[in-house]
Amino acid sequence: MADHRDDALIAELRDLAGWLDVPAAPQAGGLAAAVLARVGEPRRPSARSARSAWSAWPGWWRRRWRVLAAAVAAAACVVAVVPPARAAVLDAVSGLLRIGGIEISEEPGPGTLPATPSPLPSVRSAALDEARRVAKFPVRAPLVLGVPEGVELADPAPDGAPRVVTLTYRGGAVRLDQLDGTVDPFFFKKSAVNAEFVTVDGGMAIWLPGPHTITYVDRTGKEQTATARLAGPTLIWTAGNVTYRLEGVPTVDEALAIARSMT
Amino acid sequence: MDEVTALTRARRGDPDAYEFLVARHTVAAHRTAALLGAGDDADDVVQESFVKAFSRLGRFRGDSGFRTWLLAIVGNETRNLHRSRKRRDGLALRAAAVSEPDEVQDPVDNAVAADRRRRLVEAIESLDGRDRDVVICRYLLDLTEAETAATLALPKGTVKSRTARALVKLRERLDVLAGDPQPAKEVPDGGSPR
Repeated sequence: MADHRDDALIAELRDLAGWLDVPAAPQAGGLAAAVLARVGEPRRPSARSARSAWSAWPGWWRRRWRVLAAAVAAAACVVAVVPPARAAVLDAVSGLLRIGGIEISEEPGPGTLPATPSPLPSVRSAALDEARRVAKFPVRAPLVLGVPEGVELADPAPDGAPRVVTLTYRGGAVRLDQLDGTVDPFFFKKSAVNAEFVTVDGGMAIWLPGPHTITYVDRTGKEQTATARLAGPTLIWTAGNVTYRLEGVPTVDEALAIARSMT
Repeated sequence: MDEVTALTRARRGDPDAYEFLVARHTVAAHRTAALLGAGDDADDVVQESFVKAFSRLGRFRGDSGFRTWLLAIVGNETRNLHRSRKRRDGLALRAAAVSEPDEVQDPVDNAVAADRRRRLVEAIESLDGRDRDVVICRYLLDLTEAETAATLALPKGTVKSRTARALVKLRERLDVLAGDPQPAKEVPDGGSPR
């Protein structure tokens, strides 16, 4: 029963819409980060309190991982490299966490580890200059660790370009893997019982403070069981298309200082 | 990226896809929450709604579109908010609506138009909550009948009948308000100015 008077009123209502005082919508980027940080979060009573993207992550993850640790003795954090992603995100369906090329899931890691694992396939030593020449991504080095004691190129393409470049320090106790995220999705699978969110240069990073198993996933997406090993504390972060994992630095503060000194 | 692709990718946990969906629907979701009375809590309602929408992506069948589905969650969250704080925030006109100088239009006409808007807001506010929400969704948010039905958790037929009823009531209220000693130069819809 819309008559002309309804039409006039409707037109007036539509016009009114433009005159209403509506608070500005949040910036989509910041909101997206905050939302991503919370996807999969268990329901909790105070869920409506305002929180930033970064403040939201750590508490939840600490809580989540603590639960995991209690529930599964060898709670597994499977880490594999996935297509270059700008931020970490938890897959709402599968419970996967992805950061850069790295995917963390709750699946158990390998039950038994090889006695003498080879961390990466087809490894050869090189000089840093050569690594920078043959790699198809910018190879960087942290200033605070000084000159690397070793440089390794692993899993090369037919043209010789390495998929992973590793710098080693402190007699091999500290290793920095640089993963070319532009080529293939998967690199590593890991298992850990704790994870913490930190930031490196404003981007999200994950700190795995405890020992965890790690398995390399080759170019074809196949897990290389020969590479399965126990890894020490690890910081994972990304810059551009490159994913970095710094292993063997005992504290998160020192690891962050190293990450922030990358040149 | 189109929406179907984004939804497929979001189900796989692709952060770009989530961002795409958030960027695309933030403004509509926020405006819906704000006009349905969330006020300053609209930001929180929207964040909560996106979190729930993504957490339940596995259950989203896609037959009604992501926007409709999201708005249904926004509507529900806003109602929950009213319940928890026992009030809803009303519609407010921009301050600029009365003070902004307009070089093109006659200032007297401007004042009349501003006054008319003020009374319209007053009339909408005086409606029964259920009628008011339908008017807000259909005309102030420009939602379709289907979107309005989803947002307010009502059958589509109810939206239709309630909209018609709300328009009639709104006209009556405007007529009554026009009877107030306002400097109204002209009163449409048969009201009698003093």
